[in-house]
Order: sequence, then structure tokens, then C-alpha cells
Amino acid sequence: MNNDLRFSALKKTPFHSRTSLASRTNKWYAWNGFTVPTEYSTIELEYTAARNGTSVMDLTPMGKYEITGGDAHHFVDYLVTRDLSEMKDNTVAYIIWCNEDGKVIDDGTIFKYSSNKFMLCCAVKIYNWLNDSAIGFNVEIKDVTDTIAALSLQGPTSCSTLKNYGANDLETLAPFEMKQFTINGYEVLISRTGFTGDLGYEIWTDPENAKSAWDSIFEAGKQLKIRPFGMHALEMTRIEAGFIQTNTDFMAAEDALRPVRMRSPYEIGMGWLVHFKKKNYFIGKKALKLEKENSTTERCLVGLDIDGDKPAHGSVIYNEKKEDIGIVTAAMWSPTMKRNIALASLRRPYGIKIKDNIFAEIYHPEEIEYRKIWAKCKVVKRQFYNPERRNKVPADLYE
Amino acid sequence: MSEKKYDAIIIGGGHNGLVCANILAKKNKKVLVCEARENCGGMVNHEIINYVPSIPNSVSQSIGGLNLKYNSKSTIALSESGKHIRLIGNQHLDHATIAKFSTQDADRYLEFHDKMSQFSKALGKFMLDSPPRIMNNSFSDYAKLFKLGLNVRMLGKKRFNEFARMIGLNIADELEDNFESTLLQGLIAHDSVLGSNLGPRSPGSLINLLYRMAVHGYSLFGGIYEMDGGSETFISALLDKCSKNNVEIKTSAVVKQCLIEDDMAVGVELNNGEKFFAKTVVSNADPRSTYLCLLGAQNLDTDVKRKINHHRSKGRVAKLSLQLNKMPEFNDCDDTDLNSRMVISPSIDYIEENFNPSKFDKLSSEPVLEICLKKDSNNNSSLDIQVQYAPYKVNGGWENIKNDYVNSIVKIISKYSSNIESCIENKTFITPDDIEQNYHVSGGHWHHGEIQIDQLFMLRPIPGAAQYKTHLDGLYLCGAGAHPGGGMHGISGKNAAKVVLGDL
Repeated sequence: MNNDLRFSALKKTPFHSRTSLASRTNKWYAWNGFTVPTEYSTIELEYTAARNGTSVMDLTPMGKYEITGGDAHHFVDYLVTRDLSEMKDNTVAYIIWCNEDGKVIDDGTIFKYSSNKFMLCCAVKIYNWLNDSAIGFNVEIKDVTDTIAALSLQGPTSCSTLKNYGANDLETLAPFEMKQFTINGYEVLISRTGFTGDLGYEIWTDPENAKSAWDSIFEAGKQLKIRPFGMHALEMTRIEAGFIQTNTDFMAAEDALRPVRMRSPYEIGMGWLVHFKKKNYFIGKKALKLEKENSTTERCLVGLDIDGDKPAHGSVIYNEKKEDIGIVTAAMWSPTMKRNIALASLRRPYGIKIKDNIFAEIYHPEEIEYRKIWAKCKVVKRQFYNPERRNKVPADLYE
Repeated sequence: MSEKKYDAIIIGGGHNGLVCANILAKKNKKVLVCEARENCGGMVNHEIINYVPSIPNSVSQSIGGLNLKYNSKSTIALSESGKHIRLIGNQHLDHATIAKFSTQDADRYLEFHDKMSQFSKALGKFMLDSPPRIMNNSFSDYAKLFKLGLNVRMLGKKRFNEFARMIGLNIADELEDNFESTLLQGLIAHDSVLGSNLGPRSPGSLINLLYRMAVHGYSLFGGIYEMDGGSETFISALLDKCSKNNVEIKTSAVVKQCLIEDDMAVGVELNNGEKFFAKTVVSNADPRSTYLCLLGAQNLDTDVKRKINHHRSKGRVAKLSLQLNKMPEFNDCDDTDLNSRMVISPSIDYIEENFNPSKFDKLSSEPVLEICLKKDSNNNSSLDIQVQYAPYKVNGGWENIKNDYVNSIVKIISKYSSNIESCIENKTFITPDDIEQNYHVSGGHWHHGEIQIDQLFMLRPIPGAAQYKTHLDGLYLCGAGAHPGGGMHGISGKNAAKVVLGDL
């Protein structure tokens, strides 16, 4: 995660009094200028909450930008590669955006309130990028990171928890929809979104309601296996879901020092988000079109199913001639699927045309020394975990 | 796809646009020129310019020869004491001319001129052709760049080192190292900063002089002319060619935007809603207007918008025209002197002090002036005066200060001409702001953008847009904002035509 503010004092999120109380390990990290827990108790327990109960994560440090004005809809359509021209009010869309060379800057979500008002959420700070991109558009961009408190509730019982908390009829909310609620006398926006690949919601409210919301939610989820959830457990769930993480699976184009590290959407499995046919021009279109027409895409990001049970953290990937063909960007042993999985950036045609006979060189730590394992891998769909309940409407409810 | 009636539509009937139109039309291309004003010619207008260089042969030949007559202009640097410096024609290169006031300066001047002339020639060969594009790995582009390097290296080791020393230098340092006469220093410094946003002590002011010399026959004071019948004769000659070559011209046709289909420029839409379609669109408008208005910020990548926003194009020259009812007398000047280019710029410090307030959008009480006596066909005389360092926008607004400012200019002139005030019949004053409004040039800059190392050659007007192509396929630049830059020479128009022909 972006750590660029490490020399200034870290801010506390509006949930800090609650998260610090919940933290048993005192493990924190800096995210966008805030301090938030990496883990509260043990990663395994937190991961299990996300898969079997309700996990609660403090999302406040997420970069949040309000985009308002007459050209707001045109502007967000221009900003991202995806066609958002038909986007409906009160919906959310997953997006990526590129620079002029067609290299990905970041991914995130865009929330549409109305044609004149949007909110963009992403992991890193992009205020300057938004502002410079807005030249020539009638829009105002405001960094609202500090003025909106956010929590992510993920897991099979998350809908029930939020219903108990006061979100009536929440089960009818479809994935990527959002709805405004008044709960306990204050306004809460709830969107059916998340980063774990499971049923889940994100809630957004004024920082002054933060403590009360945290307390009410934990009270509401008492019988539903609710547990606070840190960054490390999130890393596990997002790998299983096949979601990409900026500056982990690829370098953000604005951060990369080496131009060869920049990646186009096609190189990180996001080609499906590039819509050349949309009416408006979008940033990077010219470069992306050239890349597509000339088939100059060099790499790909794939899922790997690896023999054995030792996670292939940072492994180099080889072909059968022992030539280096890529690298693992994220790896784990998946407790839910009982599979040794990884995301890997490979040099094409490996991963696209050649999916077999590739190998990972794993260095498995065994008390100071490493054991070297030569493990056979198979290229598979990046989305390892995709339960039916994730997209089910109405959502599953539990007593 | 809409029907494309024309091969090329040229936005703006300034001289570069007309040169470009003629070259295309001579190759049997169907060309339409859309000019926003009532008449073609743009800033080639006595309202804007005083003196011109001779039109390069390569340009006039490319449109089948132009029959233009020039009169060489001498330069006189006025001194309050009456000890003016007179540089008549190319006599400034005679040792005796400058030895009259300093033998030391005369020696130094010849050496200085020789050096500067060589440097401007080394750059000049490069200036007359399309600049190379470095990123596209083409052999001819590398060869071109190599040739520039070679040109400079062929100056010899000593000169090469000197070139490297001087390329980013300010002109004041160089002049003070060489000359003792502050008036001579002031005169050369004047010509170095004329039309730019720099003071003599600003880094990079020397390259402005090299550019000026490159388009004025590689000479400091020898390549300055007045055109028989005024500079508008050039435009009439171009328009004659246009009618011979069947170039269609629409005047009072303000282009609202460039029409885009499938990420290609396919035509233009006028303010009145009329649409014209063509295979290519060539913009003679300044880069900022071309990108942000014609092409549209909504069709540009962020980085391109950042670059065009950084493009420096604020003008600093105003023009005062004094209509005369009788001939003024200048102290210690005869009739020949009156017909010279008269410069009031007594020293480097005078210019620099004048430049300082303009940095804060304020006016100086003692502006730098270049004065030119003009007679029209009815024998009415006027003094046309370039006023250097009149900010583009002034604190408090031009309207409120204009009159006081004009009076202060007249007061300066009266130090050199005691009867000037009694000779004035009428005054007209044009600020950079007016140039922006009346001539559709953003910033009102003579050169459509500063002549500076970061805005020259393959970086002109912005990186990625060099070689007359813009970021939109099918849209080209042919104006002063493109390589090599402003001034009345038509090189950008000629080079752009070559690029367009290559793509058509």
C-alpha cells in the first residue's frame, strides 16, 4: 500500500478509539496518511470471519473524491476506459484508468449519485491527476477522504448483520447498487461492493457517527460471527477472489520509475474494461488502440494452480527449458479451496497460448534456512473463489 | 462517414496558412481557407509589425516565386546626449562605424558578430527544415539530429565550447563582457528580447537573438527591411497566388471546433453552424487555441493538457501608432535618421528595470521603444512604435491605465524630440490583450509562444506535437507556434505543407 506520507504524523481514523481497543497485536501500518491495523488477533481468525461470518474493516483511508458539476458524467466517462455513459443513478462501477501511454494508473470504484455528482474511491491519492484531467470540463473535484468514514462488512452474514443494525430490506440491494438509509437518526450510504469476492457491503457516513455506527454494528452482529478484519486477511481474500492490487500486482503508471514496469490493461487482465466503442474519447484511448491493433501486448496476469502446499511468494516462473518467463506477484495457500494458488505476471505467449509445463521456483522458509522447491504450475482462471451467494438477490439471511 | 469535399481545410488565413494553402493547391489539392477576420493576413499587418526580414527563397520558390521589393533599413540607437549610434545597412560590419565611438568596441563587435552569425547559421540550417522526431526511431530523424550535432561540432573545438557556454546564457553577461558602450549594449539587448517574455538578464535571452539572426539573414542589423508598399504587399501577393491556384477562401468565418470522427479530424464547424469536411485539417491558429478550443480539452489525454497548459505564450509587446500632422524633429537627427529604425533603449539596466514591473503585471513608466516612421499612399505620416514589456493583462485592467501609459510613452519620446507633442493628430494603441481579441491569438504573443530552448525544435510547441502533427490524426499545425517559430517568413507554413502532402 502507498506509504508516501511516512514522514508526517499519521492521522487517526474516526474509528480509531474502537480499532485500537480491538487490536490484540498492536500491529499497524500507514495507509494514505492514516494508521490502521494490519491484524487485530490472528490472520486465520479474521480470514475465517470473512468467509463464514462478517468481517469489519476500517476503509476510511481509502482515497475518496467527490466529482460534481454539469460535466461530471462526461468527465468520469472520459477519465476511465470503461463505457460509463449508460451508468444509472445509485449504482457503483468497477473502473481502471490509464495515462496517455495507455498504462494503468490505478483501479477503483465509482459511485453515481446523479449525473451531476459522483464519488471515486481508490487506494492511492490521485487528486492532482483528477484535477489536471479536469481541464476543459465543468466539474469541481473535492478530496473527501477525511470527511467520510467508511467500513467494509464482508461475509455470508454481512447482510443479516446490517439488517439487524437497521438497514431495512437490504437483501434486495443487487451487487453494485447503493442506497441511502437513515439509521439511529443519521444518514448512512450502503453499497453492495467489496474486495473479498463474497457477499459484502461498504458503508459510508459522516465521521461524527463513526463510533456509534461501529458499536451498533458489532452489537448487531454479535450472534453472526462478527470480527474486525485487518489488511493481511484482506490480502488473502482478495487473492482468492482474483482481484488485483496496485503496486503489488503491477506498478501504478504514475509511480513506476522504470517505464518497462508500467502495464496496460491487457497486461493485467483488465482488457474487458476497455471500451473503444464508447462515444466519448477517454484518456489513453489512442495508445490502447495502437496496442490492440498492433498486438504489442507483452505480458499477462494469470492465476496459477501450483503443486504442493508451499506458497510461492515472489517466485520466478520458468518454462520447461528453465527460461525465466515471469514472476509471482501474490501467492497463498487457500484454506477454503485447499489449493496452492498465486497470481503471476507472465511474458506472452506464456499464460495465453502456453498454459502447461511451467514451473515455479519456491523458496520455502524453514527456520532461518530455505528449502528450494521446483513446483509444477497450471494456468487457471484468476477468479479462484466465486461463491453463488456473492451475486444472489435477495441476499442470504441468517438468524 | 461524411462526404469530404476538400483535401485540406486551413484554419486561419495568416501568411503561414496562405503559404501552406498555395503549396497544397499547386499539387492539385482542393483547399479551403477559413479566416476569422474580414481580411486575410493575420498579424502581418502594420497594426502589429514594423519591419520584416526578407522572405526566404525556399518559401517563395515553393509557391512559384513572389515579386517583392525590399528597402534595407538602418538602425539608430538614440541617446539623450545626441551621440546616437548609427548602423547603416551592412555598414555595421565596417570597423569605422563603431570605432567612431569606441575602437575597442569596434574590434569586439566584429568578433562578436562573426561568432553569433556562425552560431545562428549552424542552427539556421536546422531551422529551415522540419524538426526531427526523436521517439519514432526513424533513420532520417536521427540523421537530421546528427547533422545538427555535426553542424555545431564543425564549428571547431573552441567555437563548440563557446556555443555550449552561450546556449543557455543571458545576453547581458555576454554584452557586458564584450562592450564598453552602454548604448551599444542596450541596442543589442533590445533586439535580443524584442517580442519575448525575458529581460536581458533572464537566462536564455541569448537564444532569442540567435533565432532572430537566423531569420534575418544571419545578421544582427543587416537583415532588416521594409517592404515596398508595406508588409501587406506580401499578403496580396499570396492572395493572388491563391486565386491562381483555386484556393477557396472564406473570410469572417470563425471556426468553432474541429470535427472528429473515429479519432480522426474530418472537418470544421463554423460559429454559424456551417460544416465543411476534408481529408485533413491544418491549423494556423496558435497551439493553445488549437488544442483547447478547436480540438477540445475533452478529446485530449491529461498529459497533453498539462503540456499545453505549461506552454508559455503571453505577449509583452504593445503597439502605439501616432498619426502626425507635421514631421517631428529628433535631436541631432537628419531625414535619413528619421527613416531608420529608431530604438530607445539606452542601456541594459534600462531594459531590465523596465522588464521588472511587467513580471508583476504592472507597467513601467519608461518603456523600451522601437520607432518607425511610415507614410501611407495619401502621404499621411505616422510613427509606429513597438512598446516592449506591456503585460498581457495589467493589474487594474488595461482600459483604466491605457491613456496614462500612452502619455508616458509620448513623454519618453519628447526627451529625444522636443516638438513631438505638437505633431500628434491622433493616437491608437493596441495591447497584447487587444491582439488576443482582434487577431484570435491566445496571449497576444507575436510568436504564438515563447522562443525558448524548451519550446524550440522538436519541442515546439509541446513534446509529442512536433513535426507539424498534433495529437489528433488528420489535424496539423502550420503556424508560428510550430517549428521554427514566429516572424514573417512562412517557413512553418511551407514545412507543414510538405508533411500534409506526405500524408494525403
